[in-house]
Amino acid sequence: MGEVAATMKIMPAGVETDLDDLKNKLEAALPEGSSIYASETEPIAFGLKALKVVVLVGDLEGGTEPVEEAFAAVEGVESVQVTELGRPV
Amino acid sequence: MAEKPHMNLAVIGHIDHGKSTLVGRLMFETGAVPAHLIEKYKAEAKEKGKESFAFAWVMDTLKEERERGITIDIAHKRFDTDKYYFTIVDCPGHRDFVKNMITGASQADAAILVVAAPDGVMDQTREHVFLSRTLGINQLIIAVNKMDAADYSEERYNEVKKEVSQLLGMVGFKADEIPFIPTSAFEGDNMKEPSANTPWYKGPSILESLNALVTPEKPDTLPLRIPVQDAYTISGIGTVPVGRVETGVMKKGQKVTFMPSGATGEVKSIEMHHEEAEQAVPGDNIGWNVRGIGKNDVRRGDVCGPADKPPSVAEEFTGQIVVLQHPSAITVGYTPVFHCHTTQTACTLMSLDKKLDPKSGQVKEENPTFIKAGDAAIVTIKPTRPMCIEPVKEIPQLGRFAIRDMGMTIAAGLCMSVKQKQ
Repeated sequence: MGEVAATMKIMPAGVETDLDDLKNKLEAALPEGSSIYASETEPIAFGLKALKVVVLVGDLEGGTEPVEEAFAAVEGVESVQVTELGRPV
Repeated sequence: MAEKPHMNLAVIGHIDHGKSTLVGRLMFETGAVPAHLIEKYKAEAKEKGKESFAFAWVMDTLKEERERGITIDIAHKRFDTDKYYFTIVDCPGHRDFVKNMITGASQADAAILVVAAPDGVMDQTREHVFLSRTLGINQLIIAVNKMDAADYSEERYNEVKKEVSQLLGMVGFKADEIPFIPTSAFEGDNMKEPSANTPWYKGPSILESLNALVTPEKPDTLPLRIPVQDAYTISGIGTVPVGRVETGVMKKGQKVTFMPSGATGEVKSIEMHHEEAEQAVPGDNIGWNVRGIGKNDVRRGDVCGPADKPPSVAEEFTGQIVVLQHPSAITVGYTPVFHCHTTQTACTLMSLDKKLDPKSGQVKEENPTFIKAGDAAIVTIKPTRPMCIEPVKEIPQLGRFAIRDMGMTIAAGLCMSVKQKQ
């Protein structure tokens, strides 16, 4: 057992979505037992930016799904994709 | 100096067979652990006696280290051999993470399968070998580990080797081309140099076999496939799908088709990291704009490909699946959600065609009435709405899927053949 660090790529609803504000909303929506470890923005294309967050979750039943679902329900989130998975070093 | 080629390395195997110890030992032997930590570690080991010689400790110390400098690369474990630099792709123990390993980006290029010599092949050994095959990991190194606990017995090593070879053979690996190495990650035997404890073993060490791995070919000669992550309407530009190029190359001016909608147009512009690009290759995260494509022509889960070789849309497809967990039995008519590239589509099992024997790889039963956890089977699947999927033999990146239901990852699988939708 132990911790798993999942890197998630959050695509915002649009070019004008405020990513700082979005990050705060994600933080507030985290299911119990998970936490945001770090985040950064990643330029994509045509002014669109993705929010990359590293979420620490337990090595538990359900995997990253509870976090993905909670994030997907946040206003301003278009999609959530887990791009990397690993044990924190 | 030119950067060494990079490889993603998974370390797999049954719980307690020594995966973390092996990772710790690799990082230690290759100098991936900073020198001052080794000094600290040596002092501490001396203080506590040899019993505390656990590589979990090395990892804990690294963890302390990272807490001092927050970085987004928290999950990255890197070490270098003479030839490559490796990133360890960790496989969390719980099966529900299998979905991420199929739909995520950090596909492993090679794997070390750790099998403890005293135990031999166990449940998770079997499961991980199946999964490696499903996930398309074609290069394996077998560490017959904990040889210290098996008195460095050649006889025991050969028994385990035979057992693992049988398992590998059944999923289609060529066991005689795969290095088997007697190791004790704990003691350091055959990790870097030949060990005096195994004079009967003449093969390579773990580090030598890592150097002998082959870098996977970039899938840029395959037909273009870009699963659409999202589609945006951006003022002044128009419709902009975004996604990651899985295979092939997309060039400006190329004629592309989005499936299942069939919408076709010419690529007007490609952007990557906010900069215009002439072309995009596998691994690139891009946004692109296609002449004449409207917001309703493209959505998440669609796949973009060349107009003359468009992505295939399945009316039905045949899949080989491994059932990881299910509370009861799976029968015809079961309709869970399939996660495949960027799509999530409910699909119905139309027929259970063959049940495979996990020990021999032979067909155990034709047309079984049910399958359950631990079974491997060939099944026919019908998506409830149009869905893009490709046979794994043609475009592996778009031929793998995870099956989820009830908040669990039920199975992992690969697409064997597609009956195209007319």
